[in-house]
Amino acid sequence: MNISLAWRNIWRNKTRSFIIMTSVAIGLFAGIFVLALYEGMINNRVRTVIDTEVGHLQIHHKQFKEDYDPKFSMNEQQVINSLKSFHQIKYLSTRTVTFGMLSTTTGSTHVRINGITNNAENNTSKLKDKIKEGKELSEGKKNGVLIGKKLADKMKLKLNNKIVLTFTDKDNNLTAGAFRIVGIYQSDNTPLDELNVYVSKNVLNNYLNLPQNSCNEIAILLHDDKDLQTTKEEIQKKFPELAIETWKETSPETNLMVGYVDEFSIIYVIIIMIALAFGIINTMLMSVLERTREIGMLTALGMNRKKVFLLILSETVLLTFVGVPLGILASWLATIYFSKAGIDISSFSEAAMSGFGFSSIIYPEFPSDSLPKVLIIIIITALVSALFPSLKAIKLQPADALRQ
Amino acid sequence: MKTVIDAHNISKTFNKKSIPVLAVKNVHLHLEKGEFVALVGPSGSGKTTLLNLIGGLDKPDQGNILINGIDITKLSANELIDFRLHNIGFVFQSFNLIPVLTAKENVELIMQLQGRGKREIKERVQTLFQEVGLSDKLNSRPAQLSGGQQQRVAVARALASKPQFVLADEPTANLDSKSAANLLDIMTKLNQEENMTFIFSTHDQRVIERARRVITLVDGEVNSDTGTYLELNHGNSLI
Ligand SMILES: Nc1ncnc2c1ncn2[C@@H]1O[C@H](COP(=O)(O)OP(=O)(O)O)[C@@H](O)[C@H]1O
Ligand SMILES: [Mg+2]
Repeated sequence: MNISLAWRNIWRNKTRSFIIMTSVAIGLFAGIFVLALYEGMINNRVRTVIDTEVGHLQIHHKQFKEDYDPKFSMNEQQVINSLKSFHQIKYLSTRTVTFGMLSTTTGSTHVRINGITNNAENNTSKLKDKIKEGKELSEGKKNGVLIGKKLADKMKLKLNNKIVLTFTDKDNNLTAGAFRIVGIYQSDNTPLDELNVYVSKNVLNNYLNLPQNSCNEIAILLHDDKDLQTTKEEIQKKFPELAIETWKETSPETNLMVGYVDEFSIIYVIIIMIALAFGIINTMLMSVLERTREIGMLTALGMNRKKVFLLILSETVLLTFVGVPLGILASWLATIYFSKAGIDISSFSEAAMSGFGFSSIIYPEFPSDSLPKVLIIIIITALVSALFPSLKAIKLQPADALRQ
Repeated sequence: MKTVIDAHNISKTFNKKSIPVLAVKNVHLHLEKGEFVALVGPSGSGKTTLLNLIGGLDKPDQGNILINGIDITKLSANELIDFRLHNIGFVFQSFNLIPVLTAKENVELIMQLQGRGKREIKERVQTLFQEVGLSDKLNSRPAQLSGGQQQRVAVARALASKPQFVLADEPTANLDSKSAANLLDIMTKLNQEENMTFIFSTHDQRVIERARRVITLVDGEVNSDTGTYLELNHGNSLI
């Protein structure tokens, strides 16, 4: 009876209840859709990080990352052979990596020099797809270099220009080589484009005085994200002397962002709900005030305070929750639509987005994982909003209330 | 005879804008089971206040009120609510019913609050609606009923809880004379057939005439009491 009474009571003032239900639906729609945008952005970013930047796993010599000294290298043949039995590995590429100086006639800048092999790199970091001008590095011993568009713009470099790369070899001798720009690439991540240049691994190994079968970095792409941790552990077992990192460790800022955005978007939903709570409290207070006599009568007849409290509480919760399915449905439909069409925000923030490594087209994803959290927030909102009106209702003195 | 209400020297003062109003002054009231009492007096004479006090809706500043031997002035607020639910039937002047509930549901609500079983509730609702002559209006909303019909539903509800007595504050004030007479007929019948005790306030002369005992209030004091049940039934009293 109490629930049925509560349900009928919320329909007494249809316009008012309708306004609250619509506000809840719209608020929820806005909240969930923003979550969907974040979810899409973050998942897209994580995909980019894994599929085109660092891979799922990276293997280095334990000391390599201390100061990126190329002498801390691995025998790639040995490692690759051992990894052949790992069926969860989709692709892997071996790299020689060192930091150095890129100089032109007019200036110089700090770069990360990656010695790569075309095929392996196209599989793990999709380098070929990122080339906007020119072509891939040619095989063999020619000194070609790929640089990022951002770096090219900064250093005023064009295709076929010559640059000099200066760095120290494995024996700590300063060495330099002249390279011709064969291609200019561009990814969604401008800071990386500015930092990374690519040369042939053979060529770089020669400069560094490293044997051809040496490398400093092995990037691994798995078939399935879920195998990340277990594969890391298995490889670690096989090579206790090497450092195995997941993308979360290689790119901690991305991992951190995933957590931050999660929290941020929940805060966003909470802010929406706080705004809604004021509307709900106001509506329910009005409703209680209008029924002063009626509630006083119920108390007079013998409805105890607990039941009166629960009645107003149920009314508030029902009022809040009627709009919930509508809001969820609307955001779900919008997400489905835009997850195919994509939302292009390049017109107002491409630079800002790519500055943080985000694509400027967002494909929202329905935040199913966050939905329970959102529902809990709504329940709390309803309960907190109900508190004030319910307390008001149980404070009514029947004799006074009936006199009205 | 069984004493239902025994009020000793009760007074109630209201402070209206810090001017004290003595609404009920040193009232003694003694009601036996089966009485049918009218409380009369001009507007502002304290009828509602007195009924609120003996109905446990308000507390007196002094005096004791024993209902069925229990001093309700000593009960806590929560105990009082529960006491009202099980011992007192109320009929108010108007807007007695919950508008979103049907006539039947309005009556059922009280018994549900008392925690009675579904079967019992169903049977009792049938009986009560028969007694107030509204068996065909079970599923009507209050808005679909006339004022007189609404008051009859209110009487049915007051009886639903099987109270010690029914307290009615000007139950006919908003009714035409025909509906008023009809309501009084029903109350009289319930009084005679089921020995239900009624105390109601009124300033309608035709209603006063129907009472077997009339208590007149003037300025919060009992001005006259036409006699107690015992006196009226002196001839065949056992005492
Ligand atoms: N809650 C209250 N606050 C202040 N004064 C009140 C209150 N209730 C009743 N009174 C005063 O007490 C007196 C008796 O009122 P009431 O019991 O309503 O009389 P009646 O029902 O006979 O018309 C009146 O003077 C009225 O103004
Ligand atoms: Mg009155």
